[in-house]
Parts: sequence; structure tokens; C-alpha cells
Amino acid sequence: MLMHKRHTSLVLIAALAILALLAAQCGATPTPERVVETVVVKETVEVEKVVMETVEVEKEVVVTQEVEVEKEVIKEVVVTPTPVPGRQTLIVGLSQAPTSLDPADHRSRLSETVIRNMFDGLVTRDTRSGVHLELAEEMNWLDEKTLEVKLRQGVTFHDGVEMTADDVVFTFDRIIQENAIEFPEPHTSPRQGLIAPLESIEKVDEYTVVMNFSGPWPPAMQLLVHQQIVPKHYLEEVGTEGFVANPIGTGPFKFVEGQLDDQIVLERFDDYWGGAPDLEPVGPACVEQAIFRVIPEASTRVAALLAGEVDIIQSVPSELIDTLAQTPGIQVKTAPGTQPQWLQLNVSNPLFEDVGVRQALNHAMDKDLIVDAVYGGRAVPLPGPLSPFNNFVNTDLAPYPYDPDMALELLAEAGWADTDGDGILDKDGQPFAFTLDTIEDWRPLAEAVATLYRDIGIDATVRFWEYSVVQPQLLACERQAYMDDWGDSAFDPVGHFEAKWHTFVEGEPYGRGNFMCYSNERVDELIKQGETTADTDERRAIYDEAQAIVYEEAPAVFLILPEEAEAASDRVQNWEPASDSRVNLHDVCLAP
Amino acid sequence: MRTVKILERILAAIPIMLGVAILVFLFMRLTPGDPVDIMMGQGGAVSAGEMEQLRHEFHLDEPLYVQLWLFLKDAVRGDLGYSYIQKRGVITLIAERLPATIELAMGALFFALIIAMPIGIVSAVRQNSPLDRLSMAAAFLGISMPAFWLGIVLILVFSVTLQWLPVQGRIDYGVGLEEVTGFYVLDSIITRNGEALVSSLRHLVLPSVTLGAAVAAVVARVLRSSMLETLRSDHVTLARAKGAPERGVVLKHALRNALIPTVTVVGLQVGVLLGGNMIVETVFSWPGLGRLTVTAIFQRDFPLIQGAVMIYAFTFVMANLIVDILYTYLNPKITL
Repeated sequence: MLMHKRHTSLVLIAALAILALLAAQCGATPTPERVVETVVVKETVEVEKVVMETVEVEKEVVVTQEVEVEKEVIKEVVVTPTPVPGRQTLIVGLSQAPTSLDPADHRSRLSETVIRNMFDGLVTRDTRSGVHLELAEEMNWLDEKTLEVKLRQGVTFHDGVEMTADDVVFTFDRIIQENAIEFPEPHTSPRQGLIAPLESIEKVDEYTVVMNFSGPWPPAMQLLVHQQIVPKHYLEEVGTEGFVANPIGTGPFKFVEGQLDDQIVLERFDDYWGGAPDLEPVGPACVEQAIFRVIPEASTRVAALLAGEVDIIQSVPSELIDTLAQTPGIQVKTAPGTQPQWLQLNVSNPLFEDVGVRQALNHAMDKDLIVDAVYGGRAVPLPGPLSPFNNFVNTDLAPYPYDPDMALELLAEAGWADTDGDGILDKDGQPFAFTLDTIEDWRPLAEAVATLYRDIGIDATVRFWEYSVVQPQLLACERQAYMDDWGDSAFDPVGHFEAKWHTFVEGEPYGRGNFMCYSNERVDELIKQGETTADTDERRAIYDEAQAIVYEEAPAVFLILPEEAEAASDRVQNWEPASDSRVNLHDVCLAP
Repeated sequence: MRTVKILERILAAIPIMLGVAILVFLFMRLTPGDPVDIMMGQGGAVSAGEMEQLRHEFHLDEPLYVQLWLFLKDAVRGDLGYSYIQKRGVITLIAERLPATIELAMGALFFALIIAMPIGIVSAVRQNSPLDRLSMAAAFLGISMPAFWLGIVLILVFSVTLQWLPVQGRIDYGVGLEEVTGFYVLDSIITRNGEALVSSLRHLVLPSVTLGAAVAAVVARVLRSSMLETLRSDHVTLARAKGAPERGVVLKHALRNALIPTVTVVGLQVGVLLGGNMIVETVFSWPGLGRLTVTAIFQRDFPLIQGAVMIYAFTFVMANLIVDILYTYLNPKITL
């Protein structure tokens, strides 16, 4: 019995050792495998030659034969191991996993980044805030509520079928109609809210559709950028389940394979119609293959770029920008960001009830120092509630000047002074102390802000949260001060003002990001007006007034807008990071 | 008799799994954070109807006990539902990722054992020698080093500076590996794809070392102390007195008995390797169950988290059971 057992353990160890040896040996000699594969390809090439010879004899029959043979050749190439990673394969390191490849069934920026390389919209956006015609050749407002769209002709989906008005009608119906997406259970598109005023869409002829809106909708163009056209015939044939497994669009790249939280492999669509004529270059994409790989850990993403495993990375941590910029072979580029940062003060908290105190906190903030020290100069101070790059920013407003003396004066008016000489301001025997809540992403900024407040005698301590944990507490006015951003990628104040500065209304979109418990009737009124006014000058006046009120009442400390930093290897050419975080691979080339 | 006992133990796992299922379900619901809210993100407008709709779709508008009942009813039939986010079956998603996780755990275990076995034996035989002190110091370091930090350091040294090994992922794209079992090393051997084998082994090294370091340290220390104990026992003294060669005494008489506690520890560590891989999988972008679970937690993807945690619990229960069974083979005095 004992002997038997000893043998088993010995056998086990021996087996492990053999396995290790095998592994090592196989690892050392990979080349013969490759030779076998190339032989296969050569054989098929010969077949092709035979076909070519017969061309001279029978013309009609040969055409079909030739097509078949070509298909075979392509298949062989896929199986053949290609050098790793191929010259013309561009790899992008994404910071988060996309949630879907169905343009109608997600609500995340990263999903759109991948999707917009496979799909086109009626319009598209350049790397800043300009909107350009894409699948639409012409767009005309027939009246304030009716938009006529003339479609480009001769555009085909990846399966070769032409895109027509039917596809556009189908795409938008799928988004605006209740329960139009049938998989996994019937549900309404989460993108409906992005195009809420669209009531119906009708086909006029093969290449013309008309969109009917419930009222004037000024940001229509900016928001139409975020809807991409899907093929009706294909979705009707394979359903949403088949479509998400193998999506096809009209975009510059075709889907090959992949899993959402691992990697998504795309291949150049050689019959691409060219892309927005306004935006050079026009034509098929430059690189043959593109891979989006999810690398959630920032240090790993940077390391992968340094090691040459990926070509472009998103969301470079601000503390690493300088290091990367100085590394040979690496280029770092920035675009104006769309994530303005505020320290949002709970105005219902006794500490921040007083407007003077809130203004004092704005004056005590040395934004230029933060831009330099925390962001290495790659950020701009906020002039008020909106980003300075928003198309409707109030140009009369300037960032609250840094003035600690004025801050102390305002605080003294509100009764705060350092009476006991401990370096901390106090009032009625209570020190001026609060907790600055934020999420881990903004740690360096939060710590800098807290330090600047401690310098003038306010005891601010930083606390880090998981967003989904702190968010309900913020809406319930249970926290004191919260620092975070609110995305502004449409460059239009409409969604932004509605979510952030409108009074919170339970169960409605209004105020769903209002973590200040701020409420001003006039501002609410202006926000509602801004949503339905079509005239640009009128809208500007409306939002100018709203911004001025929010600036004056200072329910938040208007901090900074960081730039979007992306990095790439020097081989990547014609690449420009976009403000809306889209990585547009159509224009990008790889140097050999 | 033993087979009956084993079956009994497997059946006993059922109430444990049920308990786990209920606890996971309740804890998930107690965690703040509304999945629907997270799905909607920031930009643009959201209609109240849309949010209601989503809540209804995921039964989030039902009372908790109804949700629990619906979950258990389906779980018993082997249906863990659909991922809220990915819109695919939880079982499918987990099945796709499990091979990656098991492959990594096996790599880590392999690394841990080839390091720990010789160190444990030698440092026991040469107790208090400089070698013993050095290896125990290294073991102490191995236990205390956070996997996250070790992973990053290894990446910086071996991938960025020396460029010997890849930073992340499981295999290079384009090596033409046909998936058979989902275990890439095994698949490469089955399909005789040398390039894929090299690529998958190269990708396996750094994560295995990172994940296996702590295990190696634990195993080396346990093996050393149990070796010290058995080396002092009567039967080893007797063997030496009989004039048996020292090598044979150490390997046959001492090691065999010292392996009993070691096997227990290794078995439990397998559970740790399979369940403690979230950090390592995140650092190395290893597309396994740990990554899937972490993503699901941040997205509040309830069905997927429930499914993943149940798989983890099941793995632990099974690892324990296998250890107990192995035990009876190593030491006939012990019964199940």
C-alpha cells in the first residue's frame, strides 16, 4: 500500500517534469509549424493560376469560379499565423470595457468610441466641437419642428447591401419606439432620452427622410452625432441577438471577433464610401486591422504602450503625462476636455447657506496653482458653471480671481474668524471644518483643494467614495461638499444645465446631477426656455443669464477643466485626440 | 465505503451553496448603488419612463422576496439569468472566462511548487544555515508583498525595461490559435501550433509569478516546519540508525509524512488562487473570471456578480472536499 502511494506521487512529479520539459522544448522550436502553413498558401496560389489559364477559353463560367477560389484564399490567410502583431495592426488600449456594440443599446462613451469606427451617423463631429455631414448629404429644416434629410447614395453596409431611407427610418424607430429592442427581453433603447424630442420619422423616397420633432430642438445636430445607422435587412434577419454577436454597419472597419471586456478585433472595410467629405482624408481607412483592448489598470496601460504592445492609449493619468512626453518613441497629445470639475457645496447645509461663504471659497482657490502643480499646465480654470469650450459659454464671466484677503474678509462678514489662535477659523466656538467627498479618480486634485483651504484656516478633510455609493446620499442632501465632474460632450448647455443646475425633481431628468441641493426658480425657468428656443441669439441670452446667476450664487467652487490626454507610439501618424474621447481610427496610419 | 462518503460530502455542499446564493443576493441588494442609474451615465437627457422601463425589465421594481424567489427558481434549474450590461447569459459568460482563470491558477501553482518544494526541504535539512535564513526571509517578503505592487514591478522590469515578456493579455492576436478547450496552452499543444504555445506561455509567466509568490511562501514555510518535525521523529532516527542513506531518509521517510499538512495548505491555496485572482487579473488584463467579476461589481451587474460569487463558493467547497479525500490516501488513519 505504502509503496503504491509513493509511486503515485513520484509519477506525478515525473509527469510535471515531463510537462515542463515538453513546454520548454515546444517553446524553443516554433518555426517548423510556420513552414507547413505557408506551403498551404502556396498550393492555393497554384490553383488560382490554373483558373487564370482557363479564362481565355470560357469567359462567363470562369468569372464565378474565380470568385470561389478567391474566397478560399482569403480563408487560408486567416488561419495562417501572421507575424505578431502585424505591421498594419493598430492596437488601442481602452480604460474601460464597452457595454455593447449595438448603437441603440448602450449609454457609455467607450462603447461609442468602438461603435463609431464600425458605424456612421447622419452627421459626425471633428476632434473639437464642429459637426459635419456624414451619411446625410443635405439637411434642411422645413420648419422649426421638421427636418428633411437627404441621404448619400451608393453607401453600402459591410455585407454589400446599399444603405437607404428604410435603414434610417428603422434605426430611429428602434430608438424612439417603446420596447423596440427584443433581446434579451423586450426593452426600450437607453438612447431614447438623447433624442427625446423626435416624435416620428418618415421615408419620403429611397434617399430622403423627414424627422418630426415635438418642438424646436436647438441641439439637434450635436446630439444626432451620437446615433449611428444600422442595417434593417440584417437586423430583421438575425435579430438583436445575432446583431450584437456580429454587428455590421457602414463604417470604415468591419467587426471580426471579440469580447466586450477583453478585446474587439476590427478589419478594414475596403469598400468604404470614404467618410465625411469635409474631413480629410476621404477614402478607406489606412490601417488593415484595428484592435481595441481593454486595459483597466492605468499603470498597465502605460506599461503596455512603453513595451510596444499597444499603439494608442486613452486616459493617461495626469502624473504620468510628463514622463511619457519625455520618453523617446512616445508622443502625448491633448484635446480640450469635456469633464469640468467643481467642488459642489451643499447649500442646504448650515455651513454653506451663506452666499458670502461660498464666494469666499471661490476666491480662496488658487486655480492657476492647481493647473500647474496638479495638471502640469494641462488644464484651464473654469470661468463659471460651464466649460470655456462650450458653444454657449458666457464670455462676460471670468474665473473667480484668487484673492485670499477678500476670502477672509467675506468669511469675517459671515462671522468666521480665528478667535482662539489655533489657525482654524471659528464661529460660536465651532471650527470651520468640513469633509470633501470625492471619488478615487480625482485624488490629487481633491488633496490640493483641501490643502489650499487649510492654508486659509478651513479644516477640510478628503474622503473617497465609490460613486454609486455616495450618489444617493448626495441627492438626499446628506453630504457637505462633493467634488466631481459632469460630462459635457455635446458642447451645448442643454443636457448639462438640466442635470446639474436645475432643482432636483424625483423621477425626472431634472436635477439628477444636482448634488448641491441648489434651487433657483429663475434658473429653472431659463433652463426650460433654453430647451425649446430655436433661435441661437435668444438661446445665448437665456444661457448667459442662467450662467451669471449660478456664478453669482456660487453653489459650487468652479475649479478647472482638465485636458484629455492620450498617448501613442511615434509610429502612429495623423492621429489627434478628440474632445469627446472618440478614438477615430479612419484617419490614422502606422509607419513601418 | 469511501465512495458513499464522498457522495455524502458532495450532497452536503448543496445547502452550503443555497446559503451562499441567498447571502450573495441579499448583500448585493443592500449595497448602495442603483444599476439603472449607472447604466444611464451622465451625458444627455434621460426620461423617467426609460428608467422605469429598465427597472421593470430587471424586476427591480418587485419586492425583495419576489426577486429572491425568481432568482432561486431559475438558479436551481441552472439558469443564472442574463447579464444586465452585456446582455448575454451569465453561465455562458462565466464558462468563457473560467478556463483563463483555471489556467492562470495552474500556472501559479506550478510556479509556487517548483519554488517552494526545494526551498522547504533544503531549509529544513540545513536548519539555521544562511540558506535557510535567506529563504525564510524571502518567504516572509513573498507573503507580505501586495500582489498589485509585485505585478507592477515585474511588468516594469521584465516587460518595459528588458522587454522579455508581454505586459498584458493571454495571447498575441494573430497567432491563429483554434480554441478547443479554452485552455490556450493545452489548445496550442492539441492543434500543434508552436507559435501559439510560445505566445501563451510567455503571457502566462508574469501573472503566474505574481499570483504564485504568496502561495510559494506559504507552502515553503509549512513544508519546512513539518519537515523539521518529522526529521526529529523516531522513525527517521531509526532509519538513520539502520544506516539508510541521508537522501533516502529525507525524501522517503521525512518528506512523505511532512506532505500531509502541506497538501492541506496547497489544497486551500488552490481555492485562494482561483478566488483571489481579481487583482492579478486586473493588473495583467487577464480575461478571466476575476476581471469579469470586478467589471460586474462596478457596473452593478447583479446577475453576473451572483453567478460569479456562486462559482467562487463552489470552487472553495470543492477544493476543501478534494483536500479531505487526498488526506485519506496520504494517511490511512484519517477517514472522511
